Amino acid sequence: MIAALITGLALAAADPCAPVQSAAAADPGAAAVYRGVADAEAQAGSRETAVLAYRSAAALDPTDHASRAALERFCRAGSGVDPFQAGLAKMDAGDLRGAVADFRAARGRVGVDEPSVALLEGICHYELGEGREAEPLLRAAERSPEHADLARFYLGLLALREGASSRAAALFDAASASAAIAPVASDLARVARTRGPWALTLVASSGFDSNVNLAPPGAPPARASDGLYALGATGLVRPWGADGPYLRAQGFLDKQYRLDAYDVSGGDLAGGWQLQGTRWSGLAEYDFAYRTFGGSPFLSSHRLLASAWTLVGDVTLGASYLARFESYADGFSPFSGTVQAAEVRASFGVGARARLALAYGAAWDGARLSILSYVEHGPRVELRVVASRGVRLGADVATTFRGYDAFDPTLGARRRDTYLDAAGLVEWDLAPRWTAQLALRGRRALSSVAGFEYTKVVPTAGLAYTFSP
Amino acid sequence: MIAAGLLLLALSTSAAPGADEHLLAGAAAFRDGRFDAALVEFRVAEKLGAPDGRAYAAAALVKLGRAEDSVEAFASSPPGDDDLLDWYRALACYEAQLYLCADRILAGLTRAGPKVATEAGKLRAEVARVLARETTATTIDWYLARCEARRAEGRAALAAAYCREAAELGARRPDRHGVARANAELVRLEPPAPVGRER
Repeated sequence: MIAALITGLALAAADPCAPVQSAAAADPGAAAVYRGVADAEAQAGSRETAVLAYRSAAALDPTDHASRAALERFCRAGSGVDPFQAGLAKMDAGDLRGAVADFRAARGRVGVDEPSVALLEGICHYELGEGREAEPLLRAAERSPEHADLARFYLGLLALREGASSRAAALFDAASASAAIAPVASDLARVARTRGPWALTLVASSGFDSNVNLAPPGAPPARASDGLYALGATGLVRPWGADGPYLRAQGFLDKQYRLDAYDVSGGDLAGGWQLQGTRWSGLAEYDFAYRTFGGSPFLSSHRLLASAWTLVGDVTLGASYLARFESYADGFSPFSGTVQAAEVRASFGVGARARLALAYGAAWDGARLSILSYVEHGPRVELRVVASRGVRLGADVATTFRGYDAFDPTLGARRRDTYLDAAGLVEWDLAPRWTAQLALRGRRALSSVAGFEYTKVVPTAGLAYTFSP
Repeated sequence: MIAAGLLLLALSTSAAPGADEHLLAGAAAFRDGRFDAALVEFRVAEKLGAPDGRAYAAAALVKLGRAEDSVEAFASSPPGDDDLLDWYRALACYEAQLYLCADRILAGLTRAGPKVATEAGKLRAEVARVLARETTATTIDWYLARCEARRAEGRAALAAAYCREAAELGARRPDRHGVARANAELVRLEPPAPVGRER
């Protein structure tokens, strides 16, 4: 009898609401026991086990109308699909709105882990840009020890989105207690510290330039290499946070140890306005720049920049355009003119800790002297990896194809260049405001005119400190 | 393999007449991964007088994701009689976020087979990772709130498990946050022998 019943239970698992087959021999006593179990399961809110037990009771006692009625009631009530599992499936499929509805239905059901439901529903609301709905759910999940770190991570993202950078940094620091979240959380804590109403970053670095004078291989002039050091400071003021106006001031000095004719220094003063939506952002900026070369005035420029990016699925798509009006000092004045450049860009996550960006840029330099005017374009690939807590790796590779507008009678050629650029970067957060940097940049320049070909490698090591509220 | 162990265990268990068949049927369903059918059969066996029916039902409840019901069902018998059931008991505690409870039971799994011992070792490492962090006052308050909520529902054994966890976690803090409140609740909950919620 039991074997037959178990077979019946197995069939019921396929369709718990299929017609009940009576057992070969009726056993009202056993049916009563099953009914008792079914009632208890029903009272506990477990539809699936209650249905199974009612089926067994009904199979064992054809006169058990109570079990049959209960079975009919349950089967009429619904399919019994677990709303939590349904919500998970919809979340995985990207149907966040549907997932929220299922998670809401799952709340309060027996067997459902309330903090898990709150966390997942909160994440869905965050992804949908519904911070007000997300916060109380994430706060509820934070009270559960198991989910506290991930809940704090998302609360940090919410705070960052709202411009509360100090609170965001504190939440990311707290979320870093989890080994799984720590690499990303500590990186975001660093970012959050620079997102306040003001930030001042000082950078000092030193290194080596293998080809300061961009000399071609095997031909005069002889290649000159030199050590270098660089100092820089960038100040940013944005009284209303990331969403609003900002002012930026920047100064730098790139100094060769011996070849001071190649020293470069300069400063920028920029003002702009950034607008931020949930899944998009854009900015417009004006920048005035001044440069010296070898200790003498070299260039002043006015630049207008517009940039926008949006999130499409898991991919961030962006585009930017700039126009720079350049005025070179005497001796370089034929280079004066207008540069226009544009770039389109797509970036996406690669695994949990890496992000890959693919970009294609084009520029037109309309110099006063036509032999100096050119059009260039080319692709760029950037990879950023959060290697471990406080350690980030970066690698960039780019190719630029440049064609000059006019035949240069002095060179006896119309110049066409190709630039192959590569860079690697390691950043290590030594302390919350201190970051050590190791960088290696390299360029191989190919040209239709041999004298403009060169190779250059510049390794540097530096230290940065950020002041912020 | 762990489920197959449960079948062997059920085969070796002496129960009241009639209950045996349901215990075995439940164990077979458990082995086949039909945990809802297993639960029904174990419950029936329990009602027919099988002494371990409730503990087997508790194991099935863990598999069904009903950790709190499982903790409550396991509360009717003390740990230490059987390592396999104690493994499910530890799982129930872990999934109900009763980490100290889970750790205590896992520490006592000395005679478990290699498969259970491996899984228990992994779970104990995970529990240690959770417990390594300083327990915040908010976390202890969460356990106390759970304790009070379950007591209000009449689920004394489950409420006591949460209060015991709160008391032990609070005792690890210098300020002993929540210990007095948890102990006061435990005095109300535990004078009689712990009993599971009547279903």
